[in-house]
Amino acid sequence: MTTTGDGYRTTLSGPVRAPLGRLVRSELRWVLRRPRTQIVLGILALIPVLMGFGIVATGSPGGSGLLTQIAGNGLVLPVAALSISLALLLPLAVTMAAADALAGESAHGTLRGLLLAPVSRTRLVLVKAVGVLAVAVAAVASVAVLGIVTGVVLVGPSGTAHGMLTLSGTEIGPGSALLRVSLAAAWTVGQLAAVGAVALAVSSATEHPLVVLAAVLGGLIVFGVLSAIPALDWLQPLLLTTGWFAITDVLRDPLPLHGLASTSLRAACYLLIGLALALARTATREA
Amino acid sequence: MTAGSATPAATTAPEVPPPAIRVRGLRKVFGSTVAVSGVDLDVPAGAVLGVLGPNGSGKTTMIRMLLALSRPTAGTVELLGAPMPAAAGAVLPHVGALVEGPGFHPFLSGRENLRRCAAAEPLLSTRAIPDAVQRALSRVGLTGAAERRYRAYSLGMKQRLGLAAALLVPRRLVILDEPTNGLDPAGTRDVRTIIAELHASGATVLVSSHLLAEIEATCTHVAVLDHGSLIAAGPLAALLDGEAPALEVRTPDSATAVQALRAAGIDVAICPAGVRVELAGTDPPTVVALLVGAGVAVHEVQRRRTELDELFAQLTGGHSQ
Repeated sequence: MTTTGDGYRTTLSGPVRAPLGRLVRSELRWVLRRPRTQIVLGILALIPVLMGFGIVATGSPGGSGLLTQIAGNGLVLPVAALSISLALLLPLAVTMAAADALAGESAHGTLRGLLLAPVSRTRLVLVKAVGVLAVAVAAVASVAVLGIVTGVVLVGPSGTAHGMLTLSGTEIGPGSALLRVSLAAAWTVGQLAAVGAVALAVSSATEHPLVVLAAVLGGLIVFGVLSAIPALDWLQPLLLTTGWFAITDVLRDPLPLHGLASTSLRAACYLLIGLALALARTATREA
Repeated sequence: MTAGSATPAATTAPEVPPPAIRVRGLRKVFGSTVAVSGVDLDVPAGAVLGVLGPNGSGKTTMIRMLLALSRPTAGTVELLGAPMPAAAGAVLPHVGALVEGPGFHPFLSGRENLRRCAAAEPLLSTRAIPDAVQRALSRVGLTGAAERRYRAYSLGMKQRLGLAAALLVPRRLVILDEPTNGLDPAGTRDVRTIIAELHASGATVLVSSHLLAEIEATCTHVAVLDHGSLIAAGPLAALLDGEAPALEVRTPDSATAVQALRAAGIDVAICPAGVRVELAGTDPPTVVALLVGAGVAVHEVQRRRTELDELFAQLTGGHSQ
């Protein structure tokens, strides 16, 4: 009895923690092995492929200027696919991941297990944020990579065989065209990180993943509606979705950075607020 | 059990180890419902405490507060001598728990689920994880089903996996909330064996149940909760011996029997089956000899020990009105 007693005193000297890297690896493994993540990534990868085939098959769609461009300009496809997916599918993928991250774990009773291990509540949110970000990166990567591959295979790097024909009518080399696509992808990840952080905040406040999906996607739709009402123009700078069309700026020459920068700054604000709310709510959460 | 159990209300002698669990004035209110009210409890290190109570008596709520999953409305909790939740980072690595049923991911196999739990265990080195998972699986008898998805597990297998997660690391304190829920008799036996092993290794165990037989078979201490209040707590033996034992005699000649026994100065009362004899100051052979001597037809004699379920019924019955 006394030896166990002494044992308490010696081994309870201070908090012990599992290595952060191990927690993150375990989280990523769990997130990326999840069947629904894989299905969503698969669907996202199909989008540029379908767009590519559709546009090539019909010749010139005569729709938006961007889509017309694809017909003669392979590297426009990934940017167009990202732009279209950003409207709903990419936020859906990220929101699903965030919904599962806290609300889903809570619903399965697995959040308790993590807190009892223990994983501190701050670390828990940070590890979860990394998991959501990983899904954002994977989702954007599948659209971008499949977009590039489909575009190059179906159309060739450019109708002119030299590089990319920009919306401004100038030509840029294949190397800098790829850089432009990467810029579009990175910018998209930034916007999705903002969506993910807000979703994580909602996720920290409920144990129903569906509530998270409804709140965040509903919110995005409401943002879209608000931005369409002229009387509410003053709201524009506050809405995350404002300026999401700026992604097509990467197809202009010279590259206008203002739109991309201001939308990224707005995303950063949403990201910080979302993470702060998630941290605060999780700290007092009953698990 | 040694000194610790004799003085459950721990006095602070310097060489006495701190109680594994020490609760003072614990209270939890949900809206207008008082789930736990004014619980004071000391569990000596090395004890196996059975927490008994009917459904909704506050067992799980109390356990959740012990583990800092839920914040008390009032009161303090110390685990292994350190205050919770302030010292959770130091305490919880030594605590294994199965609370509110097993929680796992349906799309992962039992082994994968445990590996995920193990990754978060501070006391496990990364290299030791596969072995620890394997040991925990075989300890609960799930080696054969380890690669099956959790989704396909039976209720009993799920419960076993939950137990395995609590046993991934050698623990100083193990808290099991209704561990035998959904288990078949063999599973219940296995849980008892595991609790006995934990007890033998010096760990403190808190096990909640509404199955009284389970508690009586495995515990050294008992706490009875009813409507959120602790209505009895102490070493099992002390609670069981609290009442004098009695002998129940099944006989058609109860009137004769009463006469004969009262004549010998033995306290006796008529009960439906025959007579009930208080064993204060006498013993069964004497009683039976007296009855047979008086010509009473004795069909059956049964010693009525104050069993825990009887105690349990007494304790909760009085308060539920």
